Amino acid sequence: MFQERKAFEPDRDYRLAPFRFSPLDGSRYVVTNDVGEHVVLSREHLVAFVQRTLPPDSAPYKALKSRHFMFDRQSRVALDLLALKYRTRAEQLAAFTGLHIFVVTLRCDHSCQYCQVSRQAEDRTRFDMTLEHADKALALVFQSPSPALKIEFQGGEPLLNFGLIRHVVERALEMNRARGRDLQFVIATNLSRLSEEILAFCRQHGIFLSTSLDGPQALHNAQRPVRGGDSHQRTVDGIRRAREVLGAQAVSALMTTTRASLDRVEEVIDEYVRLGFHGIFLRNLSPYGFAVRRKEGQDYDVDRWIAFYKRGLAHILKLNAEGYALREEFTAILLQKLFSPQGSNYVDLQSPAGLGIGALVYNYDGHVYASDEGRMLAEMGDFSFRLGHVARDDHAALLTSEPLLSHLSDTMPEGAPMCSDCAFLPLCGADPVFHRATQGDSVGHKAFSAFCKKQMAVLRHLITLLEDDPSARETLLGWL
Amino acid sequence: MSGSDAAPPLEERALVFQGGCVRLTLDLRVYRLTAVQKASYRFAEHFTAILGAPEEHRLGVCCLFRPETREAEALDAVRRYFQELLDQELREQIGEETRAVRALILAQAFSRTDLIQRD
Repeated sequence: MFQERKAFEPDRDYRLAPFRFSPLDGSRYVVTNDVGEHVVLSREHLVAFVQRTLPPDSAPYKALKSRHFMFDRQSRVALDLLALKYRTRAEQLAAFTGLHIFVVTLRCDHSCQYCQVSRQAEDRTRFDMTLEHADKALALVFQSPSPALKIEFQGGEPLLNFGLIRHVVERALEMNRARGRDLQFVIATNLSRLSEEILAFCRQHGIFLSTSLDGPQALHNAQRPVRGGDSHQRTVDGIRRAREVLGAQAVSALMTTTRASLDRVEEVIDEYVRLGFHGIFLRNLSPYGFAVRRKEGQDYDVDRWIAFYKRGLAHILKLNAEGYALREEFTAILLQKLFSPQGSNYVDLQSPAGLGIGALVYNYDGHVYASDEGRMLAEMGDFSFRLGHVARDDHAALLTSEPLLSHLSDTMPEGAPMCSDCAFLPLCGADPVFHRATQGDSVGHKAFSAFCKKQMAVLRHLITLLEDDPSARETLLGWL
Repeated sequence: MSGSDAAPPLEERALVFQGGCVRLTLDLRVYRLTAVQKASYRFAEHFTAILGAPEEHRLGVCCLFRPETREAEALDAVRRYFQELLDQELREQIGEETRAVRALILAQAFSRTDLIQRD
């Protein structure tokens, strides 16, 4: 039955749906709800909204109503929609672990100062994963209920133990014949040991390669020392050969930011463009492994990284305006969280944290960690994120282990001081390992957290661009 | 009289930075205790807020700064603390009004979740 037209008129007698707000700048606030929808309001409009004095025919009223910040006589359906959207965003949790990282060796031919995994010399084979441990880890992979499984090989330099990679890939494909999962493989490699045999194997099995490229030659070589001093040339050659055999999409690159690169973001980006990449992740240095021991991580100034990121994003937007399609991947993840109903699967920005649920790490010695950073912390002597051992524990035991459950429940941002009333909560995460590494506590005091400072600054910058710069907005929305 | 010659507003004149500390008296009818606690936690990077025992409607707060803090910095931080108090008080109002609705939405979102694995 149809209602009278009057029933659909704007109504001052609305009820507030749950929301959070945080300052965007000196005059505006970001207002978000639990499903990540956002509106930018002046303080005057924010207070008027709460006090029911916001004119129903005003633009802020319409924006708030259309994004379910209120419900009234005719829009109680907003509650059902909010529940549905919340469920959609949380749905990925039910699949459990999709990413499985095999640390096949700690050996490496490079001796990077910032190395986060405490690599070992090339000849120390006792830091290789054994066949027995690899088989047990594979059994754990297939115990995960996730319909999509990604096996990523890491090191050290994983190609130094290519025999084991070959075994794991072939065995996984064999095991998957009866199970029919969506199975992917990635090798995170510096490409220096990329042989024709390895490339042929990768092509045969659709294996992706992810490499490290820190910028132009001098910067890259200074940060990534290798015998011969030609790491950059080896990487560039490897990228070219891999693209020829596997196709451009099968090869991606990641950069690591150091103090040396903080003032050279445009050069780093230009190097990615020169090599034909259409994506770059402006990463910050993690406080783990050799990085923190060498004080690089401890002295690392988050304000300088934020300036680096803003300059880099401006340069990327300019390149896009000039016609070269280039996406900044961290920004793209945040945009997904802002605009996509599913949010993002990015492990570091999840609530509950992506520990174990998003990824499991099988270390070279058989120990299982809740995240890649968790095993890096273990190399520094802190075993808080060690969940068990491949020879001893099954998937259920690992996922219900006390260290994991307590970290997950303790650090959920919805219950953490400062996070619980922060507008950026649905766009953020907990990152317990970072806070454990930097503050000795997995929740951390967010007033002193470089993670929190970085997240807030980047999100404020991004939302400001979306609000105030139509050209930037058009490019950014094209990254979704 | 030029703007710079004008006397500061009463609230600013009331702020005195002495011995590394700015002492405040807050009216709990304006800012509830939870709002004060949350604002103080959020401002921990700038100063340590030492909260006294509430007396009737009044709450004494000592904003204790690091020794190297200059007076202008301290007073600016306290002014922003007052803005944060307003925000926290508004958050408390919103939280009070929407708490039950949030619980309802979450209950609805997970109402069809089967928590028991059935073989």
